[in-house]
Amino acid sequence: MTTAPSQTEPQAQGDILFDIRGVGRYFGSGDIQVKALDDINLTIARGEFTAIVGPSGSGKSTLLQLMGGLDAPSVGDVHLNNKSIAHMSGRELSDFRRDHIGFIFQAYNLIPVLSAQENIEYIMLLQGVPAAQRRQRVQAMLNTVGLEGYADRRPAQLSGGQQQRVAVARAMVSRPSIILADEPTANLDSVTGSALLDMMKGLNESRSMTFVFSTHDPKIMERASRLIHLQDGRVVEDERRG
Amino acid sequence: MPKMLMLTLALRNVFRNSRRTLLTVGLIACGLAALMFTDAMVRGMSQSMVRIATGTLLGQAQIHRAGFRRNNDVDLYITHSDHLLQLLHDDPAVAVAAPRVITGAMLASSENVAAAMVYGVDGAAEAQLGKLQQAMVAGDYLHAGNGSAEGQRQLLVGTGLARLLEVELGDRVVITVSQIQGGDLSQELFRVSGMFHFNDRMLDQNLAFITLPRGQRLLGMDTGVHEIALRLPAPPAFDWQRYNGDWRGQVLQTLSWEKLIPQLSGVLEMSNVSTLIVAGILFMLVALGLINSMFMSIYERQYEFGVLLALGTRPVQLFWQILYEGFFIGVLSALSGLVLGGLLTWWKAATGIDYGNLEMSGVTLQEPIFPMLHWAQFTWMPLSIVLMTLVASLYPAWHAARLQPTRAMRKTL
Ligand SMILES: Nc1ncnc2c1ncn2[C@@H]1O[C@H](COP(=O)(O)OP(=O)(O)O)[C@@H](O)[C@H]1O
Ligand SMILES: [Mg+2]
Repeated sequence: MTTAPSQTEPQAQGDILFDIRGVGRYFGSGDIQVKALDDINLTIARGEFTAIVGPSGSGKSTLLQLMGGLDAPSVGDVHLNNKSIAHMSGRELSDFRRDHIGFIFQAYNLIPVLSAQENIEYIMLLQGVPAAQRRQRVQAMLNTVGLEGYADRRPAQLSGGQQQRVAVARAMVSRPSIILADEPTANLDSVTGSALLDMMKGLNESRSMTFVFSTHDPKIMERASRLIHLQDGRVVEDERRG
Repeated sequence: MPKMLMLTLALRNVFRNSRRTLLTVGLIACGLAALMFTDAMVRGMSQSMVRIATGTLLGQAQIHRAGFRRNNDVDLYITHSDHLLQLLHDDPAVAVAAPRVITGAMLASSENVAAAMVYGVDGAAEAQLGKLQQAMVAGDYLHAGNGSAEGQRQLLVGTGLARLLEVELGDRVVITVSQIQGGDLSQELFRVSGMFHFNDRMLDQNLAFITLPRGQRLLGMDTGVHEIALRLPAPPAFDWQRYNGDWRGQVLQTLSWEKLIPQLSGVLEMSNVSTLIVAGILFMLVALGLINSMFMSIYERQYEFGVLLALGTRPVQLFWQILYEGFFIGVLSALSGLVLGGLLTWWKAATGIDYGNLEMSGVTLQEPIFPMLHWAQFTWMPLSIVLMTLVASLYPAWHAARLQPTRAMRKTL
């Protein structure tokens, strides 16, 4: 197993989407300081289908949060499209997340008081996308994730797998730069989980949408084209597959 | 568009935990209803007390010689009173002017002796001014039979005084007074011609009425009166200065009922303050209840707020969402409180609340209190409840807007 994570060569300069330089995230101080992430250097290229893997507590969620502008690094910097997001103000970060990041979480992704369609619409409503366009994009997205007849269902009326597919649709529909998914299959049985990942992979290939997701499930890792192994907050292996 | 989105979220979240919302709305609605009813009660009670106080004997204003009221000095009587009464009679702002002579006196029956205030009055004028005629429980009311011996001896005593003197209708009573200018004692014989019962212990034990001319004669004065009690149909139209100050070589003083019974006007002012205090306490309780319930709701939705923030919702938009929730709860509460308080007040305004002769600050509540509906109960009270819910929502809203998305989402997972 290779240690020392060597910076992987980007195929071309313009293809770098994320550039993570010397990033650390520390919690607490003094003796009880926890280094959730320590000296992370990574680039993510446009169109990748990357898995962040590692045991529980290795820093997967923290890394995804830093990439998505939900949290700020203690040291280092994160660039998206050559723009630093580590030091944005609260409102800039909100708008950055709205316009550039699609999030998918492990569970409870959806707003319970909104229907599937309204959940998918949410970001476009924040963005002020006109109604006709919204409706058309929501419909297309529901078709894509195979939930044509479920537009008006509330999350409580959907199965776990269906809920995650709505979450994928919501993340995709506003056409973000990247989709960050934190253990999206962890709450699903293996068949449903694999199906969800196949769907994500399909979207990655057909629409060249960039995905970064975390998992500790070997069956799920298999489908990634790149595996970043984390352990105790450090990248211990960065593995590309054919 | 985000405004509409936040409104939608707020509205749906208000009805999400409908039991909690109903309890909160019920709490605030009851607060509003209690406030409306308190206000109606205070208004009704004030009006009753004023009506009883001024409508029994006092009138809405009185004219005296300056200084008379200090210790009822019989020498301080208004001279040229016939002329003054004529002026009052011609004054459109005065409905009734009742002239009186007033003196402390000793009343002696064959059985007993008692001290009392003896009023020499114009029976017709008193009947229009106050309740004396209505208060008659035995015998006849005063009539102007000055010529006859029987007319000369008319005497009305209160039921309490009659008990003290142990007299019945027709019994003799000797009244002894000290006359004007020098205070020679003067005694005259009367017969109890009637008894009155104001349902007010003080009045029923301490008052006796004779006719005005007989009173003047008893005191040794030809004309003149000590007091003119006035009924004013519309007090604002009355010129308070017109019968005040120098008038024909004497100084007159016109006093409104508020000045004549300052303890009552004091109580009325205090009851306005007490409505405000009740309002203040209710608002505090209701605000705390609301804040408590909103915080419960926010804590339950912590993770959800984390998701909303992750999706790119601005903190200020969360702030508005919570404020809208408070607003909806406020509007719901104000509407249900209006119905509840309105119905309660309206019902009691029709039936009245009987306190059974409760005595308050010198006034006996001889009649049921009728709570009074008033526009203020239906305007600023519900409005201030809505405003209060908005103010109370500021704190939870501010709290929600300060949530750290990562921390909010760690809580549940
Ligand atoms: N807000 C926080 N406060 C303190 N410690 C934290 C916080 N967030 C994460 N950590 C710690 O950082 C480490 C990495 O956590 P996390 O990124 O959630 O790991 P993973 O997602 O791989 O399970 C863990 O040891 C966790 O306890
Ligand atoms: Mg995690």
